[in-house]
Amino acid sequence: MAVAAALTRPRRRPQPRRRQLSRASLHGVLIAMSLVWLFPLAWAVYEALRSISDTTLNGYLSLPSQGLSIGNFTTAWTQANLPYFYLNTLYIAVPGVIVTLLVASMLAFSISQFNWKFNVLVLMIFTAGNLLPAQVIIIPLYWIYLNTPLPDFVSDNGLLYDQYIGVILIHIVFQTGFATFVLSNYMKTITKEITESALVDGANVLRIWWSIILPLCRPALAAMATLLFTFIYNDFFWALILMKTGDKRPIVSALNNLQGEFFTNYNLLAAGALLAAVPSVLVFIAFQKHFVRGLTLGATKG
Amino acid sequence: MGNKPPFGPSALDLDLSRRDVLKIMGYSSVAAFLAACSSGTTSGGSTTSTGGTVTVGSNASDPLPKKGMEMVNAAFTKANGGTVVKLNTVDHGTFQDQITSYLQGTPEDVFTWFSGHRMRFFADKGLVSSIDDVWDKVKSNFTDAFATSVKGNDGHFYGIPVDYYPWAVFYRKSVFADKGYKVPTTWDAFKALCVQMQKDGLTPLAMGDKDGWPAQGTFDILNLRLNGYDFHVELLTGKQKFTDPRVANVFSKWAEIAPYYNDGLAGMTWQQAAQLLVQKKAGMYVLGLFVSQQFASASAADLADLDFFAFPDLGTQYDAEKALDAPIDVVMMTKKSPTLSKERGQANAYLQFWSKGSTQLIASTAAPGVIPVANDTDTSGYDALTKKAVEIIKNAKRITQFFDRDSRPDFAGPNGMQSFLLSYLQSPKGNITSLQGKMQQFWDSLPPEA
Repeated sequence: MAVAAALTRPRRRPQPRRRQLSRASLHGVLIAMSLVWLFPLAWAVYEALRSISDTTLNGYLSLPSQGLSIGNFTTAWTQANLPYFYLNTLYIAVPGVIVTLLVASMLAFSISQFNWKFNVLVLMIFTAGNLLPAQVIIIPLYWIYLNTPLPDFVSDNGLLYDQYIGVILIHIVFQTGFATFVLSNYMKTITKEITESALVDGANVLRIWWSIILPLCRPALAAMATLLFTFIYNDFFWALILMKTGDKRPIVSALNNLQGEFFTNYNLLAAGALLAAVPSVLVFIAFQKHFVRGLTLGATKG
Repeated sequence: MGNKPPFGPSALDLDLSRRDVLKIMGYSSVAAFLAACSSGTTSGGSTTSTGGTVTVGSNASDPLPKKGMEMVNAAFTKANGGTVVKLNTVDHGTFQDQITSYLQGTPEDVFTWFSGHRMRFFADKGLVSSIDDVWDKVKSNFTDAFATSVKGNDGHFYGIPVDYYPWAVFYRKSVFADKGYKVPTTWDAFKALCVQMQKDGLTPLAMGDKDGWPAQGTFDILNLRLNGYDFHVELLTGKQKFTDPRVANVFSKWAEIAPYYNDGLAGMTWQQAAQLLVQKKAGMYVLGLFVSQQFASASAADLADLDFFAFPDLGTQYDAEKALDAPIDVVMMTKKSPTLSKERGQANAYLQFWSKGSTQLIASTAAPGVIPVANDTDTSGYDALTKKAVEIIKNAKRITQFFDRDSRPDFAGPNGMQSFLLSYLQSPKGNITSLQGKMQQFWDSLPPEA
């Protein structure tokens, strides 16, 4: 819309015909672009609906000769045990998102609403943490995890390694920087007078954070939650490195179970991949408004 | 979930003072002494225990091999006084990528792996336990070729071979019958057949090298036929140079058949190339027995039409070796498993159980495409393809594992031999001397392996 408005905003009033033309060409481009984006997805759906013997005999660039069926989807669902792995992902994503938001909002609150000496420095450190590629620290991290004892009630092998809590922890660590950056920028738009008058009224800092700032930040929190959920849901790396038990891994790594040692049924794999993508699509649709807002959240200061 | 035993005490081995370490060493040697005194049956140095549990890390993640593994485990539980097998199945690709960190972390007692250099590498690093005691008991059930394949550089034994499969030249019986083709046994007949197929509108040789490794099979067999087993093994372990004129000979022979490959081989997976064979667009394919899975995915009739022959003779003294790639899968014992010290007896029993033909047959029946290796295997139920595979391997005086199992992984991988062979296949008539130079240069640039 904004693009359309910009295109049709010359100083003089344009000729109606020219305007129609530019509209048409705009839509032409948009439709073409959406087709380019939709094509791989549509093709994956198409192949997922075909049987492997059909594509082995006729190739992938052919019309279905054995009809279309959802057989691959049901097989992927049971063979890769998808429901079980969806649950594994939830074990990681839900606590990960909640704790990240709590920690990040506390931090953002204290550095945006109070004047400390090192406000900017702290924020810079957190932001700089975002620039660190996760892969760089993997070897020391692996050994730290392997050598960190945990009590038995949180870890079934007495270590941080190969545990949900370990994976959740590293997600929190890596997402907090970004979330703090975004939330603090958002909180800067809340005038400090609110905090100050709450202080005058006798509320303590935690109370102000929980009862005043968090409710005011609801849109930002919702947007962040959507983003974080997608980030953590799509993560492949941490669970792969920091876990060794196949049955504990989240859904994106479970997709590998559909890939054979030599022979891979790509139609089945396509079906599995589509199924694994469903939750993040659902989250996106449900929180679409927040998601789009999240993209520009904190981009400007109030 | 529910798959891992709680083994809290392992948390203790960190943050220890020197004194703690000494104390623990003292205790554990006492414990080991007590265990040695009290354990069940001891014979020939190998201790096996019944009951209890054993943990197993498995890369058998394909549906059929996974089922085979579970059936074997169930049979073991029954045969070994109810020993509970705790299985951790990790998908094949991940298991392979992670093996180094897996073995250094908290691995299971027993794990599935490959023989060859890939096995010896971890033996040299001290990440796997030698199983000489078990091997002594079961060695009569394996031929010398298999014994060699599980022996480490230090002369100790590290694994039990459980199955293998051969590399050969695959074709469709119906295509050969329709066109009146004969199975070629010499290089000249092989090339003449390629010419004839091309005239008949077929792609003579299928090849899909997108993943880099399939072309290594052709390199292996040409090198084995032209230069012999000893040179091949020495070359792959750095004792011979890639700049050797004998290597140049491999590439110039290869160039004689390279024009007969399908187009676009650098962008095709082996499965896509195998489709050409299934669809009767290509005539032959140098590949492993696993190509049968692509045929099986088409239909049972297509699978029944699949056949193969040994790579033709090249007219050298090494033809008599009839050497070929026949990768062997093994089960091995880890070293750093937190549970191994108390489950060693069960782990020994588990390895011993895998050395039986009856056990290996359970797995290979559940997942066709691999062949049991134990001497006492009941072969009466084999299908025609398997029987032929057994025959071709029996004829081989020397068996290699495959380039990427016989050489160091970083040399065989995408930055090394895989990319060299891909660039060779782009221009087989190009500057081979410079390519050989690059190979040797890359080898020399690699850090010491251990």
